[in-house]
Amino acid sequence: MRQYLKLFVATAIVGTCVTGAVVAQEMDLTKKETYDQIMTWAKEPLDTSNYKKEGDLRIGLSAGYLSNAWINFTAQSVKYEASLHPEIKEVKVTDAAFNPTKQAADIEDLLTSGVDAILFWPVDEKAILPVLQKAHEKGVVTINIGYNFMRDPAVTSNAYVNQWTYSEQVATEFAKSLNGKGKVFAMLPIAGSSAAVVQLAVLQEVLKGYPEMELISSEYGDWDRAKAKQLAENLLQRFPEIDGAFSPAGQMSMGIYEAFDEAGRLGELTLSPGDDYNGWAKLVAKEGKWGSVTSGLEVGREAVKQAVSILTGKPTTTAVVVPTRYLAPAEAAKLNEADRPDDWFKTDLPTEFLPQ
Amino acid sequence: MSTMTDSLWRPTRLPSLEEAAVWIVLAALLLLAGLTSDAFFKLNYLTNLVRQAAPVGITAVGVTFVMLLRGVDLSVGAIVSMSAVACALVMDGKPENLWLGILAASACGALIGLANGILIAHGKVSSFIMTLGMSIVVYGLVQMGTGGTARGIVSPGFRETLNSRIGGVLPVLVICLLVAVSFGVFLQSRTRFGRSAYLIGANPEAARLAGLPVNRVTVIAYIVSGLFAGLGGLALLARTGVSGTNPGAGMEFDVLAAVVLGGATFAGGRGSVGGTFAGVMVLFIALNLANVAGMPFAAQLIIKGLIIIAASAAHSWIGSRSGGRS
Amino acid sequence: MRPRGTAALVYQELPRIYWALIALILIGVATGPQFRTLSNLANILDQSAVLAVLALGQAFVIAGGMIDLSVGQLVGLITVVACMMFDAFPGMSLLVIVGCIALAALVGLINGELINRLRMPPLILTFGMLSVLQGCIFVLTDRSVGQVAPAIAFLSNGRVLGVPASLLLVAIVAAAAYYVLQRSVFGWHLLAMGNSADSARKAGLNLFSLTRFAFLVSGLCAGIAGLLVAGRLGTGFPNAGNGLELDAIVAVVLGGTPLKGGRVSVAGILGAVLFLGVLNNLLNLMQVPAFTQIVVKGLIVITATLADRPGRVVRPA
Repeated sequence: MRQYLKLFVATAIVGTCVTGAVVAQEMDLTKKETYDQIMTWAKEPLDTSNYKKEGDLRIGLSAGYLSNAWINFTAQSVKYEASLHPEIKEVKVTDAAFNPTKQAADIEDLLTSGVDAILFWPVDEKAILPVLQKAHEKGVVTINIGYNFMRDPAVTSNAYVNQWTYSEQVATEFAKSLNGKGKVFAMLPIAGSSAAVVQLAVLQEVLKGYPEMELISSEYGDWDRAKAKQLAENLLQRFPEIDGAFSPAGQMSMGIYEAFDEAGRLGELTLSPGDDYNGWAKLVAKEGKWGSVTSGLEVGREAVKQAVSILTGKPTTTAVVVPTRYLAPAEAAKLNEADRPDDWFKTDLPTEFLPQ
Repeated sequence: MSTMTDSLWRPTRLPSLEEAAVWIVLAALLLLAGLTSDAFFKLNYLTNLVRQAAPVGITAVGVTFVMLLRGVDLSVGAIVSMSAVACALVMDGKPENLWLGILAASACGALIGLANGILIAHGKVSSFIMTLGMSIVVYGLVQMGTGGTARGIVSPGFRETLNSRIGGVLPVLVICLLVAVSFGVFLQSRTRFGRSAYLIGANPEAARLAGLPVNRVTVIAYIVSGLFAGLGGLALLARTGVSGTNPGAGMEFDVLAAVVLGGATFAGGRGSVGGTFAGVMVLFIALNLANVAGMPFAAQLIIKGLIIIAASAAHSWIGSRSGGRS
Repeated sequence: MRPRGTAALVYQELPRIYWALIALILIGVATGPQFRTLSNLANILDQSAVLAVLALGQAFVIAGGMIDLSVGQLVGLITVVACMMFDAFPGMSLLVIVGCIALAALVGLINGELINRLRMPPLILTFGMLSVLQGCIFVLTDRSVGQVAPAIAFLSNGRVLGVPASLLLVAIVAAAAYYVLQRSVFGWHLLAMGNSADSARKAGLNLFSLTRFAFLVSGLCAGIAGLLVAGRLGTGFPNAGNGLELDAIVAVVLGGTPLKGGRVSVAGILGAVLFLGVLNNLLNLMQVPAFTQIVVKGLIVITATLADRPGRVVRPA
């Protein structure tokens, strides 16, 4: 038994050393330059001649996580936009439930069923590449609608929300509303997700410009209101002074808000802007502060348009970039649809395409 | 009848040291927590901690009965989700639908529990796999029913009341948890169902020969488990509002860990609602402690695992010392 | 009692899940031209390999009346460690492969050893270990890391003379599992332990070494499965193994091995894994909405469990 333990410890040490030694050779998501480079790439013309196809079109959508309201609404807007193009005969939707292995299988099945284009929200950008390679070899158009730009021969195009700009808008407005001072914590999405990686990097970058602001903790709230609330409650316990919370996802901000409220410390809380999540918009309307940054829900529709352009041989660029905008509290409050549920996004989808 | 059952029941009572084990662990942990941060002795913080534990705690009370009967209920996480989502849907933001929503949530839980119970008692199949299958079905039904976004709106007043503190001190949710625990203790020790559950769990064959209605008690246990999970869903809805379609995801495993920490074993016939409550608190204090000590996410996961292992090991150690079964 | 020809024998011996599998395949063949292609068959086999290996490992534990919930996160850990190592030591793939499998087997051994020494129920120990392993993964990385050696990528996706390489690997693992579980003295002892630990102990069997070995095999298989996942994904994704332990348990049970142990069928498990693979594939091809797919799968687990409940003579313990 003892020698096993020694071996285990040795393996663990080697493992840890190796982690340190691994040098990221792919896109560095934590550097602003990467995103400037992405914007340059996005404008490059795309050669669509290889993909041109006559007749009916079939589109597959591989969602990473369909029980998340944002992805759900994106999927609905894909269906809506597809209905506006008569040449699109069908849209097939699969859900990987945050399992990359299932997503690989889903995409293989979509390929078997003969789709012409696959729109995908990747569970993980790297883990999806091998199966996208198979799609590419079959001449199927692949369009990324996930958080991060993907530049790879296997990815035909991106419908892209610049996560750096988005997070930067959130972080900058946040710093401003705190007058550049105070102890703050970050509420991030699922540990290991690229969204969490980017948001933390941006926050740290922005905070460099504000030496009087201190990041006291980073938490992973899994896009989950309940989890965010519990984490915030614990932080309230840990730190006698908290001045603000960086939380770009509105549903997690709501959990934070409630934790502070119930601890009787709402007065000391400054929240970062959230997104266009309806529950958050209700809160902004009620409080009259903090604002929102639009999350780029249009990517679903843009991705379908892009797929159609590519498949019909129209000239287009490598990526469509969907801009995000900061909305001051007064304007953000207008996103509020009081008679809609919290778990909802403001869209211009017709009723029959809203989630049923 | 009741005196006869009493005398039957007494020999299977747990050795007192084993019964006390989880409370000893809880006290030690609380002491450790107090040494780390004096906040743990502040009333406000302690009540807040208990409030955090309310959804898991209420759910765990029901699962205790299933585990007394050598079973396990993995569907409670999905039931919590369904209950929270259904309640908000029925309430639809209207004050007059308040009780209807609460009723709907409880009914959902009890009905799924009934289905579990009938299938397990009469189908004679493993509760692990049956409730696992049920949890998949229930999760899928919620997703189908909502289309992937939680569309309900909570009635005004519901969350406000449940989240308030009586006299500014005692949170209403803590009272709800204590009421649920007391009701559980009542079921366990003052009803024929509770006593039969111990007997059947300790030795199903003997209980059957003694004429106890094994199937009926099993079905009731799963209904109770489902019902408490439904109430746990209400507590979760009160605590965090409508938050997605799967707010109870993974909760079944926290509940399972808490019940086992509380002294229940897979061999059945052991454990108690009081122990389960202590088990829930051990779990939550441990996680809070890891968090308050500023440990990173990864370390918290490791701590959680080690605590489950250590507490369960302590149980079997104390159990063997006090002359329990090997 | 008299044998009534091959047909009767097949009917008696064939695990019941195969009838469901055959029905499913007939539906597939009847409804979709896409289902009938050889490449689709190869896809299904590739997609099923991870689960097959994992379920075969789990079978050792379940046959002995125990359970191993830690294998999902163990798969995740091995995926991450393997990809890191392949990246750091590009020329030493073989060493990394051996090292990873050894590490996984070691974790399995630790599980078994702790269960023996602490006298804990396997469910709760491996549940604790699940959390510990997940923590270890996030100590190593919070995002996808490293890359995979070409040999492993080939193992997961490649073809040997048109046959998926993963199928060959599964065949080897299955043959070994069949021999050990259903044809060796060890398997016989393990099943005896699953039937009744008390009687097995009284009969002089060493339950400690049986437990240790069963968990060692479970860990070993999780190691192989972890490498297969790495090959499928091409990267070490920290959440890669989430929930796989439950899938594996479902496959074992669908294959006719009851959770209380004492009975096992390697052929049944393979049939169940294939059944789940074909089911997923068909549901996708037939455009069953994603959420409906979940309900269908849950109902199948329930139905299959009820259909495969202990027979007429066996009295439940």
